[in-house]
Amino acid sequence: MPGPRALLGLGLLVAAARAGGRCRERGWSWSWNRGWNRGWERGWERGRCLPHRAMHSPGTARPGPAGLRFLGQEEAQAIDQELFTEYRFSVEQLMELAGLSCATAIAKAYPPSSFTTSQPAVLVVCGPGNNGGDGLVCARHLKMFGYQPTVYYPKRPSKPLFEGLTTQCKKMDIPFLPEFPAEAEFIDELYGLVVDAIFGFSFTGAVREPFGSILSTLERVTVPIASIDIPSGWDVEKGKADGLQPDMLISLTAPKKAAMHFTGRYHFLGGRFVPPALQEKYALNLPAYPGTDCVLQLT
Amino acid sequence: MPGPRALLGLGLLVAAARAGGRCRERGWSWSWNRSWNRGWERGWERDRCLPRRAMHSPGTARPGPAGLRFLGQEEAQAIDQELFTEYGFSVEQLMELAGLSCATAIAKAYPPSSFTTSQPAVLVVCGPGNNGGDGLVCARHLKMFGYQPTVYYPKRPNKPLFEGLTTQCKKMDIPFLPEFPAEAEFIDELYGLVVDAIFGFSFTGAVREPFGSILSTLERVTVPIASIDIPSGWDVEKGKADGLQPDMLISLTAPKKAAMHFTGRYHFLGGRFVPPALQEKYALNLPAYPGTDCVLQLT
Repeated sequence: MPGPRALLGLGLLVAAARAGGRCRERGWSWSWNRGWNRGWERGWERGRCLPHRAMHSPGTARPGPAGLRFLGQEEAQAIDQELFTEYRFSVEQLMELAGLSCATAIAKAYPPSSFTTSQPAVLVVCGPGNNGGDGLVCARHLKMFGYQPTVYYPKRPSKPLFEGLTTQCKKMDIPFLPEFPAEAEFIDELYGLVVDAIFGFSFTGAVREPFGSILSTLERVTVPIASIDIPSGWDVEKGKADGLQPDMLISLTAPKKAAMHFTGRYHFLGGRFVPPALQEKYALNLPAYPGTDCVLQLT
Repeated sequence: MPGPRALLGLGLLVAAARAGGRCRERGWSWSWNRSWNRGWERGWERDRCLPRRAMHSPGTARPGPAGLRFLGQEEAQAIDQELFTEYGFSVEQLMELAGLSCATAIAKAYPPSSFTTSQPAVLVVCGPGNNGGDGLVCARHLKMFGYQPTVYYPKRPNKPLFEGLTTQCKKMDIPFLPEFPAEAEFIDELYGLVVDAIFGFSFTGAVREPFGSILSTLERVTVPIASIDIPSGWDVEKGKADGLQPDMLISLTAPKKAAMHFTGRYHFLGGRFVPPALQEKYALNLPAYPGTDCVLQLT
């Protein structure tokens, strides 16, 4: 029986592991605070921490190719910031490439011929931030690829970026629903696929209306759901056992830890714009994209 | 022998045909002036005027798929303007898609394995305007695709768009040459391909240095040249018999009339962003892009 000091030490160790700690194989730290946490160093070992097993489904959470890193929320935010401040990309550029990736992945997994609806009708639900912007770009490219997208965009930022994206969609004759379908059955009837572009990697758990109701409805939808970057409503690192269960996830830049809980059929990587030096810096270990494709199928 | 009035009429007809006139099959008019010439109507017949035979090469100028329209300079400028003013696109978006198209077309025609140089080294020569910007985007995507691009960019506009694109390239470790290779032989030795991103559809014939010297050198280069949108130095409608002879042309949005004089091996269409309504309005008769590809090989 260990002495009181040893027990105290053990207790502290357990507490530290729960609150956050260093994943020794990876050399980075988890933290639930929102500070600028960059507790990693270069030259770390290339091993990977074991993924959390998904508790909500009989499917096994598949971590993906060996060595592929799953990012924590702050890392994802740090990489995003670095792309804009250090690498001087504009939001317009990266959002365009991201949305194009999403549309391309969707077209690969759900070609128009696979739809049972008379038209390849797709409902794109856009949230109040950049994930919503990705959705607008995705909707436009889906239209170019021969789909019939319809957008629901209840909270639109008053910024030129989003106003421009909205105009582009409208001028492409993409309808914007005045209200969200009241029942999951209506969605199942009218659309062969739903694109979830509500919340992304900046989501911190606060779901303001109308998105709570929307997510409740989407959770009852039976047609496939394709989520952009993070299944909406999921914790960006821990997932959400009783939340949305998308059939497809398109991880942008690199997968986030939430993706370790993803049990749908299709996991794609998109956003083929990460400079090699940035991939190196964060040891992303991204697999090679095939040829000139802007997407890579992970599972 | 016709009377003097008939001869006068014939003379006027010939003069009109030379100066500009109505192509009866197409319903639009040529004009060498730079006013807002939109002498076309909807509902015209879908036939195409015969292309002028290229005088500078034994190859036959191939006009492309039946019905595909070749735009005059003002039309091209009008469509461009409409994309920004009516459709709400930003330059960043369309330039990103355009440059991505160019890199993709190049990768299809000149895969890295086809290079005889030890690395798939590509020289990208960027002009002082938007064609140069397309070249910078192209260079960056070529790097992502595994090529080793080098950029020559002598005249850089002081605008955030171009400064951003330049920084993105530099942070991707794409070298910027301090001076242009003095001899065509140096280019042939060091690079397996040259991307001509000097002048585009706004070119009006005035070639300011250093581009005159650059074009003279490029005209003596023996490695393939891929021109973005318009072979640089060519009149946007009439071509240039003694000018640059690129092996590839990537027409953006729709081919311009100069493309009717193109006799290289590869003519691709890129810039898959033209909304159907705009295609209709200008009766572009674009062939369908394959699947989710952002380029379409015309020849």
